[in-house]
Amino acid sequence: MRKPHEIKLTVLAAVALSMTACRGQHRDCVDKLGRLEPDSFCRATGGGTGSTYRYVYGGSSGGHVGDAVIGGSATPRGGFGAFGGEGGSGHASGGE
Amino acid sequence: MRRRTLTPRENWQSRVEKIGVTFHTLADGTPYWDESAYWEFGAREIDRLEAATNEIQRLALAAGEVILNQNRMAQMGIPPAAHDAIRTAWNAEPPALYGRLDLAYDGNTIKLLEYNADTPTALVEAAVAQWYWLQDCFPDADQFNSLHEKLIAKWKDLKDYTTSPIYFADAGSEEDRMTTAYLEDTAQQAGIKTRYIRMSQIGWNAKHSSFVDLDDRPISTIFKLYPWEWMLAEPFGANALTTLPPASPLREYGPRKDRRMWGSTLWIEPIWKMMWSNKALLAILWELNPGHELLLPAYLDGPRDLTSYVRKPLLGREGQGISVIRDGKVAEGSPAAGKIDNCVYQAIAPMAEAGGKIAVFGSWLIDGESAGMGVRESRGLITNNTSSFVPHLFR
Repeated sequence: MRKPHEIKLTVLAAVALSMTACRGQHRDCVDKLGRLEPDSFCRATGGGTGSTYRYVYGGSSGGHVGDAVIGGSATPRGGFGAFGGEGGSGHASGGE
Repeated sequence: MRRRTLTPRENWQSRVEKIGVTFHTLADGTPYWDESAYWEFGAREIDRLEAATNEIQRLALAAGEVILNQNRMAQMGIPPAAHDAIRTAWNAEPPALYGRLDLAYDGNTIKLLEYNADTPTALVEAAVAQWYWLQDCFPDADQFNSLHEKLIAKWKDLKDYTTSPIYFADAGSEEDRMTTAYLEDTAQQAGIKTRYIRMSQIGWNAKHSSFVDLDDRPISTIFKLYPWEWMLAEPFGANALTTLPPASPLREYGPRKDRRMWGSTLWIEPIWKMMWSNKALLAILWELNPGHELLLPAYLDGPRDLTSYVRKPLLGREGQGISVIRDGKVAEGSPAAGKIDNCVYQAIAPMAEAGGKIAVFGSWLIDGESAGMGVRESRGLITNNTSSFVPHLFR
């Protein structure tokens, strides 16, 4: 019950520093050649495998239409997390 | 015990940001981390809080047995699909890390307000920020806070029961991310490799019947700062159930009944925490221990003889849906009065009041043992997501 003698932090301090960085959903709409396309194309076609346009999860690109999307997978995501979302200052979303 | 005021440290915002409390100020500009005041206790008062925490934990363990033996989960509003999994997990005792009891304490009586057993937060504030505050402001004083070393010790214990890396997941809010980052930190200091993933980024590989990360690597052990009741209501909820160990080799549960999934993912906190994070626990504790000095009268079927009481939704979070009723009239919170389904009706506790604030004492448990405390202050009886965190010390 007495206070600790020392508290060392590594991960927490690093995450605190990077907290301002945007963390998105990591979902890109791509064409059959793996080039980035507007999200509306995938919404119109369902974005599933076999569609002209499909979603790739966790890939990276230059962010412009036509850029190649590197990495990522077609594994479905988003089966969790619907109740979450960004909270305000001091506001928990999944915690209490 | 008394509340004292103090001039905040110079640049307190940047000081607490560096150690994880990046969410120190509310949207309206008022401080969430509030070091313009602190609570001072005597050692005997802290001893009482510690003993009360361990006693309530003992009562909760006994209540868990009764809930299962008397099939009370349906009464608690727990989805039937989860009942077998909860029962199995309770008996198998998979890793459980932490929890927080919210206590009312006025210097005289200590009463349990609720048990946040599945996804408690305000951990970084309690474990880290108030410790640094103490070193800066009162280095010779003591603090009810052994959270950091107990977390590291618990992760060391769990090392042989988990698969590396352990994933840490949350819904993405800033406070949640800092909480999972801190827990990752303690796990790494225990020698465990960790990875972070948002709940929405978790994938389901149907071919291999497993949850996967963004690189399609299987997730075998995961700490999730995300309530089980939310998970079970979502598209992957059924998959989560089927990745738990089976009730028995002959008894299957989950809609897919695919044995390849059984036990493929270890979830921390375990699913049986649904019994304790549900506020029906408060009524069951009172039913089993009527008149217990640490409990408040609480009922599921209505307020009974209580004319003044607090009505809490069984699955409410952050004060949502809570009403304070005094002499039959709503005095604070949700406006509807009278009996509402899926609520618990709990007597009003004597609370610590000072400086125009009402304090609730969040008493932490690590591995089922008392481990420290954080103080939240509100203008009213309901603690919500704008209630400030105030540090404490004892002498």
